[in-house]
Amino acid sequence: MFGLTTLAANKLPLGNMLFIIISFLVLMVILKKVAYGPLTKVLDERAEKISADIDGAETARQEAETLAAQRQSELAETRQKATQVVADAKASAQKQSDALLTAAADRATLINQQAQTDAEKLKEDAISTAKDDVAALSVAIASKLMQKELSLNDQQALIDAYISDLETK
Amino acid sequence: MDDPTAPFEFLGLTFDWGTILSTLLAMAIVVIVSIVLTRQLSLRPGKRQNMMEYLLDFTNGIVDGQLPKKQARQFGLYAFSLFFFIIVANEMGMLLQLQGADGVTYIKSPTANPIVTMTLAIMTLMVAHGMGVQQLGFKGYLKNMLFTPYVWMLPLNIIEQLANFLTLSLRLFGNIFAGEMLLTLVANSLAWPGHFNGFWSVLALPIEMVWQGFSLFIGGIQAYVFVILTGVFIAQLSGNE
Repeated sequence: MFGLTTLAANKLPLGNMLFIIISFLVLMVILKKVAYGPLTKVLDERAEKISADIDGAETARQEAETLAAQRQSELAETRQKATQVVADAKASAQKQSDALLTAAADRATLINQQAQTDAEKLKEDAISTAKDDVAALSVAIASKLMQKELSLNDQQALIDAYISDLETK
Repeated sequence: MDDPTAPFEFLGLTFDWGTILSTLLAMAIVVIVSIVLTRQLSLRPGKRQNMMEYLLDFTNGIVDGQLPKKQARQFGLYAFSLFFFIIVANEMGMLLQLQGADGVTYIKSPTANPIVTMTLAIMTLMVAHGMGVQQLGFKGYLKNMLFTPYVWMLPLNIIEQLANFLTLSLRLFGNIFAGEMLLTLVANSLAWPGHFNGFWSVLALPIEMVWQGFSLFIGGIQAYVFVILTGVFIAQLSGNE
């Protein structure tokens, strides 16, 4: 019981008290430098980081939600567009095929007409050629038959008389 | 119970080797533990850093519960140092007691010495009174300390301030001193090799162990109580109970 007896003996160990106070102050300074300061800093940093992370996560979540909604709407739009494109393609194909068919039909008609005209012309040509041939043949036959030369005018008159005779028959 | 001491005079002041060495040893342990446990601090704490953070959280929790946030922050270092020092000082004597050949105990729990605990109490009360003056101004501080809640309570308030000092210091001293005293008593009277007396000497081991465990507990509790009361006094004297 060192302390109390010295107190009783009226000999306060002031030196001890001063020593303890001063050394405790020194201890505080050392602890602040070694442990309290750095630790407090780390704790504050961590608290800050956690709150920043929470904020960041919230922002990221919202961003992701916005993006997802955007994707969704874009997807729907694309789908609609695709349907539209297919429909357009179908319509245009139909139109083209119709046009082709019409053109082909037109052309066929044209060719048909041409062919008819050509045939008619050929027929006429053939008839007129035949007419001439018949005339020449008739003359040859007639001259053979008559064995005599007719004047050209008489001949012509005779032939015309024949032909008109033929035609009236 | 008059243990011999090793006093010496320096600059007209009385010092005592036992107290000085014990205090220095306790402080050295505090510093070394702090240094070892706070190497390579990181945002993701390792085992060692966790221990230290737990301790700091604990003392910060004590002052946060007593004081407004700004004051608590200002006071955190003091509470941390005080708690750390007192708990080391309390438990130190249980592991280590060195007695010189001259019969002087050079190393034991510094807090088993009333001068040390009184000094700690004086220091704490100085901090508390200083905070009071800082927070309320000198006039407000006096009024808050002496004339609250009623002027006629002045004598009670004066006694209260004295009692604060005595309870704060003597509670710590008494607990630690008694704990060490009983440890020594059990060891000396039951199990000392010179006094071997069969059954009682064997019985001494469990008794000693139980009492050591209890003292360990008491040491922690007393450090906690001391810091809590420091917070309470600061809060009282700053006028925010």
